[in-house]
Amino acid sequence: MAAPATAADPGGQQAVQLAPAPLLEISDLRVTFRARGAHIYAVQGISYTVEPGQTLAIIGESGSGKTVSAQAVMGLLPGSAHVSGSVKFKGEELVGRSQQDMRSHRGRSFAMVFQYPERSLNPTMRIGAQITEAVRTHVQLGKKEAHDRAVELLKMVRLPAPERRFYEYPHQLSGGMRQRVVIAIALACGPQVLFADEATTALDVTTQAQIMDLLLELQQQTGTALVMISHDLGLAATYAEDVMVMYAGKVVERAPTKELYAGVRMPYTQALLDAIPRIELEPHVLLPVIGGRPPDLASVPQGCPFAPRCPGVQDDCRADAPVLKQHEAGRWWACWHPLGTGARQ
Amino acid sequence: MSSTSVGVQPASRPGGATARRLAGLARSPSLRVIGRRLLSAIPVLWGVTLLSFLVMNALPGDAASAMLGINATPAELHAFSVQLHLNEPLWVRYGHWLGGVVTGNLGTSLASGHQSVASIIGQRLPVTLELVVYALIITLVVSIPLAVLCARWPRGIIDRLAMLFSMGSISIAPYVLALLLIIVFCVDTSVFPSIYSPTSTIVGNLQNYTLPSIILAVPLIGFYTRFLRADLLEQMLAEDYIVTARAKGVSEWRVLTRHALRNSFIGLLTVIGLNLATLIGVTVIVEQIFSLPGIGFELLNAISNRDVPVVEGIVLVFGTAVVLANLLTDLLYGVLDPRIRHVASRS
Amino acid sequence: MSLPAANILTTASMAPAAEVAGPAGRRWARNLEIAIPATILVLLLFFCFIWPMVYPVPKPVGGSLTTVNLPLWSKGHIFGTDIVGNDVMSRILYGGRVSFEVAAGVQAIGLVAGGLIGLFAAYRGGWTDAVLMRILDIFIAFPSLVLVLAIADSLGPSETHVIWALSAFSIPAFARVSRAAALQLRDRPFIVAARLSGTRAWRIMFQHLVPNMLPQLLTFTMLGASLTIILEGALDFLGYGIPQPTASWGNMIASGESFISVYPRYVVVPSIFLLVTAISLNMLGDGLRARWDVR
Repeated sequence: MAAPATAADPGGQQAVQLAPAPLLEISDLRVTFRARGAHIYAVQGISYTVEPGQTLAIIGESGSGKTVSAQAVMGLLPGSAHVSGSVKFKGEELVGRSQQDMRSHRGRSFAMVFQYPERSLNPTMRIGAQITEAVRTHVQLGKKEAHDRAVELLKMVRLPAPERRFYEYPHQLSGGMRQRVVIAIALACGPQVLFADEATTALDVTTQAQIMDLLLELQQQTGTALVMISHDLGLAATYAEDVMVMYAGKVVERAPTKELYAGVRMPYTQALLDAIPRIELEPHVLLPVIGGRPPDLASVPQGCPFAPRCPGVQDDCRADAPVLKQHEAGRWWACWHPLGTGARQ
Repeated sequence: MSSTSVGVQPASRPGGATARRLAGLARSPSLRVIGRRLLSAIPVLWGVTLLSFLVMNALPGDAASAMLGINATPAELHAFSVQLHLNEPLWVRYGHWLGGVVTGNLGTSLASGHQSVASIIGQRLPVTLELVVYALIITLVVSIPLAVLCARWPRGIIDRLAMLFSMGSISIAPYVLALLLIIVFCVDTSVFPSIYSPTSTIVGNLQNYTLPSIILAVPLIGFYTRFLRADLLEQMLAEDYIVTARAKGVSEWRVLTRHALRNSFIGLLTVIGLNLATLIGVTVIVEQIFSLPGIGFELLNAISNRDVPVVEGIVLVFGTAVVLANLLTDLLYGVLDPRIRHVASRS
Repeated sequence: MSLPAANILTTASMAPAAEVAGPAGRRWARNLEIAIPATILVLLLFFCFIWPMVYPVPKPVGGSLTTVNLPLWSKGHIFGTDIVGNDVMSRILYGGRVSFEVAAGVQAIGLVAGGLIGLFAAYRGGWTDAVLMRILDIFIAFPSLVLVLAIADSLGPSETHVIWALSAFSIPAFARVSRAAALQLRDRPFIVAARLSGTRAWRIMFQHLVPNMLPQLLTFTMLGASLTIILEGALDFLGYGIPQPTASWGNMIASGESFISVYPRYVVVPSIFLLVTAISLNMLGDGLRARWDVR
């Protein structure tokens, strides 16, 4: 688990001998897209770490930068993206590396599972071939051994009749099964970090639960760190150890799950929680929605990015942008007037 | 305990097994599809031949006047046309021809008097076929690698040059290209002949066909390169399975060739198949310029001679080629795209 | 501004834009792709149709033997004269008139007739569609060159007849495109909604379907125009089109063929005009397609 952190050492990575070194250290990561003459500031300086075996949930709405930041770590962004800052995997700096170097990491050091299983697999290629390709990209295996390894992986993700499925095409499988295959592909070379980008959003609720359980199980088995990227706070509550909330390209709150849900600090997070339908609510009551519009990422705002929509906004919020600081042990937030504390921080 | 699958039951008689196999084949969905398509093609072919018959008969003059010339007397014309059965009413003549076709007889050429249409076609068809096949080979050999290179480095120098060239190549008229190439290759040097000369050597053969095939190939190269490039780029930039492949650590080349290209082939084949009809039009012009004795050239002659049976025969061949091309394209599509293949077998 | 930004990042796929985002000059380039060919075409149209009315251009026919075979850049004859003494430049201009008129006519006929047929077939579906498609297949499978030659031959060579003849190509082609476009649109929610709400068929077809089909149809018109001009040239080249002494680019090339080794300019000059026109039409069609392609 995370090393005890002090206010001066938010990453918690210095000194303490008990904790293993973090797998991923992201520090002031910025991603700017140049599109049609305009600049899109998708990620505006985020920092976080991922420890071995940890389950972290990155929560945010569309446009918050959560997906782009993960893609930036994996080096999957197109040429129009300008990435700055630092991403260290086991101490090795990844920002600015050549595509060739990144390729040796992709699949082997970290991997990703995507949102739409029906689109993530090549429709004209057999499942087995897609898995063996993942294996043989990094490991020198003969055809037979690759085949066996693939079947082993299919068993690991609990796909029924793995031997037969090896020769089948993606369209012959259901959504949940395809997602399992994608997970098998992702874990093929034993990566140490697995990004699950809205991996269950496109699945029905039952399958969602199955896939999440599978992911956690595999995580226990293999010791992989799991970074769940989602908009679903409920998912985070159930499955994650730590939750990081992003808004408008910045991290606005981070805490261990229990503590977060016990006492939210950032008004944005509170608003997200309020928007979840609950059984305790009166029937026919309007769900509280977050007023206003999602932020325009073409410009960096002067004050707090959430100010236009924050129910508790005050003048200083619009003037200065709050900085993400660890205000309590293990809890970071970026807000001048966080909930539950009252005073300006 | 179901035993509805063919082959499970033991054969009780020697012929029984074959009969059962044939019956099973008849149940095969892909053959059913073929059968249905062929059946629906027949009215189209019939319509094509009827249309050309009507068109030919709408033309002023007939075979008799074409062959005897302007100076023939009406009596001579009349006698000759009776000889050629041209005085019979339209429907009778068409009926005769149709009856012949059904029994496999395409009739005799009016202009040559005794040569059967089938043998004329038999002589000329291989020439056109060689031309088309040669052109297609040139096209694919050039356009596929070119498109891959363009897709690998979009907006790079190869891409820009290729797009410029392809725009030009689809805009240039075949006869213009032919004349320009003749200026370059035939007038001062004799690398390639400007007129077909019969030869029995392979080199001579290639010499005869190279320029015409290049002319056929140039617009095709332009078109297919653009198409393939667009299809590849569309995949490389927007498809999730491409991103999955990259996330696996697969090299950009492999992603392009093993994932994107393989999916594009299907579309490319469809385009080639559907383009075959236009290809036919261009072969007529090219054969005329180079005096290649193919069926296009023969068609032009037959039209000016009002040689109706030959025209009908060639039209039938063209029509059949188009129909077959469409059919083959559809079939290939069903075979190559596993999604369609499996839907068919499940229904 | 916020919406386009959000769109870039929220598409399901990874790439922020469904095309390669280049440097900031993208919009410039896009506009240029349309502006340049459009300008060229406007210039050509101007010179072919309006210029001879304003400026005393030498006559395209009836040249005298005294001015035979003048080379390029001769005084009074920019492109020289041909073997019977006609001014090449004015033959180019008048020939261009023919090309553009034929292209416009053929495309217009194809667009209206073919477009209606395809629209009708797609909208009605069922038997109407099947029958119309079969008839269309017949025309497509038919080597239309035969039809064209036959029509040109029987009607006699003239510009109007060439237009009718070439329509045999354009009507089925437009019908195919129009049908495909209408089929794509037919099951879109807004069309289905219109049908369900009892809107009359004519209204749906002309107020809803046609405006949405126009981009595709217009792009095809441009590309088809380029093909038509080339085909018209082919007809003249084979001897079935516009007869001499009337000028047309095709028959200029054809008559120049015999002198190709001595006076290549008789072939090259009209060929260049043909090429430039075709390229411009193609580029325009392509540019329009890129501009209107909604993803």
